[in-house]
Amino acid sequence: MTMPRFNKTAVLWIAALVVAVNGFFPALWILFTSFKTETELMRVPITIFPTAPTFENYIRVFTDQPIHLFLWNSFMVATLSTLLCVTVSALAAYALVRLRMPSPGLILTTLLAITMFPLISLMVPLFQVMRSLELLNTWWALILPYAVLSMPVCTMVLVSFFQDIPAELENAAMIDGCSRIGALWHVVIPLTAPGVFTAGILAFVNAWDEFLLALTLAPRVSARTVPVGITLYQGEFAFPWPIISAALVIAIVPISILIAVFQERVVGGLTQGGMKG
Amino acid sequence: MSATPVVRHRLTKLERAEQRLGWALLAPAFLLLVGVVLYPVVELINQSFRFNQLTMPWMGTPFIGFDNYTKALGDPRFWHATLNTLIFIIVTVPGAVIVGLGLALLANKPFTVKWPVRLGLLLPWALPLVFAGLIFRWFFEYNVGLVNAVIKMFGGQPLTWLSDPTLAMIGIFVAIIWKTSSFVALVLLAGLQTIPKSLYEAAEVDGASSWQQFWEITLPMLRPAIVVALIFRTITAIQTFDIPYAMTNGGPGDATETLAMYIHKNTIDFLDIGYGSALAVLMFVVSALVTAVYLRHTQRNPARVAT
Repeated sequence: MTMPRFNKTAVLWIAALVVAVNGFFPALWILFTSFKTETELMRVPITIFPTAPTFENYIRVFTDQPIHLFLWNSFMVATLSTLLCVTVSALAAYALVRLRMPSPGLILTTLLAITMFPLISLMVPLFQVMRSLELLNTWWALILPYAVLSMPVCTMVLVSFFQDIPAELENAAMIDGCSRIGALWHVVIPLTAPGVFTAGILAFVNAWDEFLLALTLAPRVSARTVPVGITLYQGEFAFPWPIISAALVIAIVPISILIAVFQERVVGGLTQGGMKG
Repeated sequence: MSATPVVRHRLTKLERAEQRLGWALLAPAFLLLVGVVLYPVVELINQSFRFNQLTMPWMGTPFIGFDNYTKALGDPRFWHATLNTLIFIIVTVPGAVIVGLGLALLANKPFTVKWPVRLGLLLPWALPLVFAGLIFRWFFEYNVGLVNAVIKMFGGQPLTWLSDPTLAMIGIFVAIIWKTSSFVALVLLAGLQTIPKSLYEAAEVDGASSWQQFWEITLPMLRPAIVVALIFRTITAIQTFDIPYAMTNGGPGDATETLAMYIHKNTIDFLDIGYGSALAVLMFVVSALVTAVYLRHTQRNPARVAT
């Protein structure tokens, strides 16, 4: 039984449309909303495209709310926690792959199990710990937990990439007078750059998106990350939707670009192991 | 298991040096784990047996045994939050897996241009949960929300979505399923792509309909991936916090409050560290059980999912 050619193309188009619309529609709707004036937003019946597009909301995001501060906090927390996470994970992954550790599988599982601990349970004591260390409302209150949050993904991605590098390459480097760490830095890391990068993107997105700990450990306006800052935007009387939508667009654009550029790596990293079983 | 003879050889000097280096390289990871997870967990359990209200520092933090736990058992708001969490698990976990399976099947078609579909699956995953919550809160707005606009377009009466206890739950279901189904779809898509094409070709030759092919080939072959997705979604659903927080903040009243939200409220708003800790321990126990199931499953199956 063969379907007519037209039908097959139509099915492809419909399938692509359903998946794409499902994924893009909410963000697109917010994009349209962000260019509407407050009066247009409150008018019934509602409009899809802005009738009189305005940039006012984007200006007000920066004047009414310190969103630049939120973006800066998010960027720094995500970047520093990613660097920490990838470094620590790379060292651990290398030890597990190359250095004849007793039962590396058990160590990896332990790592996984510990980090799967519910964040909400960690939130209570972390609040206490950070409070006594006077780290509440600082980047460090978030950097350390976020680095741990992404450690299992990063370690697993890196283990699978490191395994593909033949040991002979490092041995050659070490015969040439390189130390183990030197071989890791000069041989293994450059060869597994895509893996290191994938791990980094996943860690970055995890940190950029996290809400509960950010809300609990850094709630002060000056320390808020983007998700907390936008969610806690409060107008005098009602939720300020025009500003919120502009703020959402500003927050979504950078992460969307990152995801769009590195989509294949992200998918590969997320479905690590690729369901080999 | 049959015992295989193990040849124990003494580690050479070099091997011992390598192992020492190995432990040194693992040390930073373990240190972070001890500082951010293990010590806090010990502290959590310790606090759960104490009276510790930050609003009453003069009371100190005396040991009170299981009082916080028995308090939970007699606390209707705790039970209500637990029930809500259970409802979210029962509805949104299978919901996300079913929707995710649909998306994965659609995304598995042989497109010549792959990026719109791939990005369509990645974008919802990449958004913070609270953003999804905020966007859907806007969709469900009474006067100018999209959902009521569509209802009115078809001549229906607008609904008071987020201010009605039942409708608010439904609105949150929709937001959670939308947000989480795309990750499930990515996992299942990876699973779909490992199913050999030859199976379908053989079925085609035997005259099996595409419906039969789905039930006889796709579903059984996808089973391991579906199980992983189910367990993974369950672990995250136990902790449901962000989306209801952004959409209703637990309201109206505490109609949509989850256990995670109640723990947060007790700790951060009421500053009752002792009681909040006891509730957090209870949640941890449930979560640990599911995690144990997951780890057992992954150890039996090489299929692994990371995030």
